[in-house]
Amino acid sequence: MKNLLRQLRNERGLTQADLADRLNVSRQTVNAIETERYDPSLPLAFAIARVFGLKIEEIFTADA
Amino acid sequence: MTAMSAVPVKKAPALYLVEFGVCMTLYVAAILLREWLYDPNASRTLRVAVIAMPVVPVWLAFLAVVRHYRRIDELSKVILLKNIAVAAGFMACLVTSYALLVDAGLPTLSITWAWPTLAACWAATTAINEWRAR
Repeated sequence: MKNLLRQLRNERGLTQADLADRLNVSRQTVNAIETERYDPSLPLAFAIARVFGLKIEEIFTADA
Repeated sequence: MTAMSAVPVKKAPALYLVEFGVCMTLYVAAILLREWLYDPNASRTLRVAVIAMPVVPVWLAFLAVVRHYRRIDELSKVILLKNIAVAAGFMACLVTSYALLVDAGLPTLSITWAWPTLAACWAATTAINEWRAR
């Protein structure tokens, strides 16, 4: 699943550690989602959307 | 949401090291203490209680692992479970292979080697998967 996590994080001047703290996950998890090696669970996807003030589908898109 | 604990996820590894370390220290202390405390002339109940002293920290260590699992985030849970599943499968093959070789004359091993062998397999699979993911 593709996502705009890195772009959105950089736009807001957040480090991976900052985002990890806000989501209460490890920095490793944030990195894995950004590099598309891991797809978050639904609760985590909702939490990510809440942090960025966007809808889930504005952040995550299915692979073509 | 992701972890099932009120403890922040980033504190989980340090807490686990402390809790597990305390358990292992108690285990070693119990192993040493029982040699010193054991009295062959004592009642059977007391002898069993002294010999079984290390059992308590073993169970406490298991609880420390469970508590750690409840504190970590979803990806860490997946990684932990995958590593221990592979380790358990590898160990099952190892134990079966060795059991068959005992018939060929290899010495039988005490069951106390079971947990250290699983721990070594778990450590190895964790290290290999971390290296592959770098």
